[in-house]
Amino acid sequence: MQIPGYYEFCNKVRTVSGHNALDKLPEMLASVKSVKPMIITDKGVNGAGLIEPVKKALGAKVKAGGLYDDVPADSDVKTVKDIAAKYRAAGCDSIIAVGGGSVLDTAKGVNILVSENSDNLMNFVGFGALKRRLKPLIAVPTTSGTGSEMTLVAVIADHERDVKMLFPSLFLLPDFAVLDSRMTKTLPASITAATGMDAMTHACEAYTCLSKNPLSDTTAVMAIKLISENILQAVKKPGDMQARLALANASALAGMSFSNSMVGMVHGLGHSVGAICHVPHGVCMSIFLPYGLEYNLHKTGHLTAELLFPVKGVEAYNNAKPEDRPLLTIAAIRELNAELRKATGGKHPTCLKEIVDRNGNMMVPREVLPDIARLSLDDGTLVYNPEDLDYDDALMVLEKAWEGEPLDRRKIRKGKKTSLIKVKG
Amino acid sequence: MNINKYPEIKSGSKLIKKIYVAVMLWIVGRAIQAASRVDREVKEEFNRLSDDFMMHLHVLPSGPGMIVGKDKNGKVKYMGWNPKGKKITLDMKVKNIEGAMLMFTFQESTCVASANNRLAVSGNVPDTMAFIRILNIVETYLLPKFITSLAVKRYPKWSQMSPLRKYTGRVLVYVRTFTF
Repeated sequence: MQIPGYYEFCNKVRTVSGHNALDKLPEMLASVKSVKPMIITDKGVNGAGLIEPVKKALGAKVKAGGLYDDVPADSDVKTVKDIAAKYRAAGCDSIIAVGGGSVLDTAKGVNILVSENSDNLMNFVGFGALKRRLKPLIAVPTTSGTGSEMTLVAVIADHERDVKMLFPSLFLLPDFAVLDSRMTKTLPASITAATGMDAMTHACEAYTCLSKNPLSDTTAVMAIKLISENILQAVKKPGDMQARLALANASALAGMSFSNSMVGMVHGLGHSVGAICHVPHGVCMSIFLPYGLEYNLHKTGHLTAELLFPVKGVEAYNNAKPEDRPLLTIAAIRELNAELRKATGGKHPTCLKEIVDRNGNMMVPREVLPDIARLSLDDGTLVYNPEDLDYDDALMVLEKAWEGEPLDRRKIRKGKKTSLIKVKG
Repeated sequence: MNINKYPEIKSGSKLIKKIYVAVMLWIVGRAIQAASRVDREVKEEFNRLSDDFMMHLHVLPSGPGMIVGKDKNGKVKYMGWNPKGKKITLDMKVKNIEGAMLMFTFQESTCVASANNRLAVSGNVPDTMAFIRILNIVETYLLPKFITSLAVKRYPKWSQMSPLRKYTGRVLVYVRTFTF
């Protein structure tokens, strides 16, 4: 195993996992001396009745200082400012964020403003901008995908300037992550599938991209194993609380992993499809994951081969010849996507042309692929991708992903081959 | 805790290494300016950057460094090493001189240096990506293939850079880099 000459890994989130993990909320708040938390969530989560167990857990001991349930699907600066003003007016002293990635990132943004007593998020963009500990933040994820409860970054959009700003800081790591199976029980099958594959992508890219390290590898492998074993069950039987809890743990592990090792071209392409066509992030990830692994095979074939073990289990791994394992891993991920499509009644797309909106309209027309390819090149994740990716490469991958065909590996322009095993084909 | 009671510990002088990196930064800075006049792709990359683009690549804690940016007329220029009075839009810091040595002896590419936590970047992500692409092209012009192959993920194929473009560009970039 290759140990990097230098790496950094940090995760100091106290994680509470269980079927009734929320019951620990009063203790958590007491441990950080908070008496008036603000609950931040979105309309969907509140409408699904997921705030009730939070309020119930707080009980009579703690009175929430306010509930903000209007976080949009894309966290933005204006919302962050609004919530910070409400937080100050109510005299709150901590934040409980209940929701998916957008809610958790919004809460991190609010925490910056209220802790730094500022109204301008722009002052805190980039590494090193935050210098001190922020107010206590408790993250309660309601999807099993983003892993934001374990990451040191918040992505917040400024719609006026049409940019997404990145706030990376160790101080943004939440103080607590509460993984409670009840919070994902009502998640629709298609969202369970997409968010689960998002977490799978975090873990696979963390394991195969340039900034990998032994600690991120460990958490990535366990995340992949948990997802492979439980995602279909959670989709087919939404009430299976064990499977739900396993996915919540997998998402947190994958978040821990990629927060310390970054991700690559799968995210680069996915971010651009999301930005141009407004396709949910998890859907893009599930489609691009096999293509990302395939594209990098000549560099990281040996690592993709190792992933066969958590993806298919010990027997499949032992029965396969080493040179077959990378392609078997990729085939297994494609197979998983196909099974998820079947299990969701066709709502989980396996290629770009299958993505449709609520009215059945195609969301990614073929004509926009060149725009997506161009935008992808400006995505920071490409730095961490093992192989270089220029416009022609990105377009080639996008066209294949649109059709749902595997890459023609002879057409991939390869840099120095660093894979420790020769991959067939 | 009063942070002022704990002064920053500066690394030893490592004069030879600093001189080597300073010379390399000067050459790369001048070569970027030259390539922006000679190479179509570099020109296009700079055209897409904002008019006030100003990049400072420097080694912590106390240099050396180089600044490349656009002047009032929109021309790309190497602007020396001193950031005083300049509005830096992209700040790329190599965390120490040893990291800079790995980069400028081409043992580590810019991407691998980032992945190994040797670089800290403040600024726009698309600008950073554009600058990395520019740096890769300039390295291809400046260095022979066996060295550039260590510094980039993939040495340009014929379909990306024809031999004619490469060798003509190399001569022009060298001439412009070392003449004033």
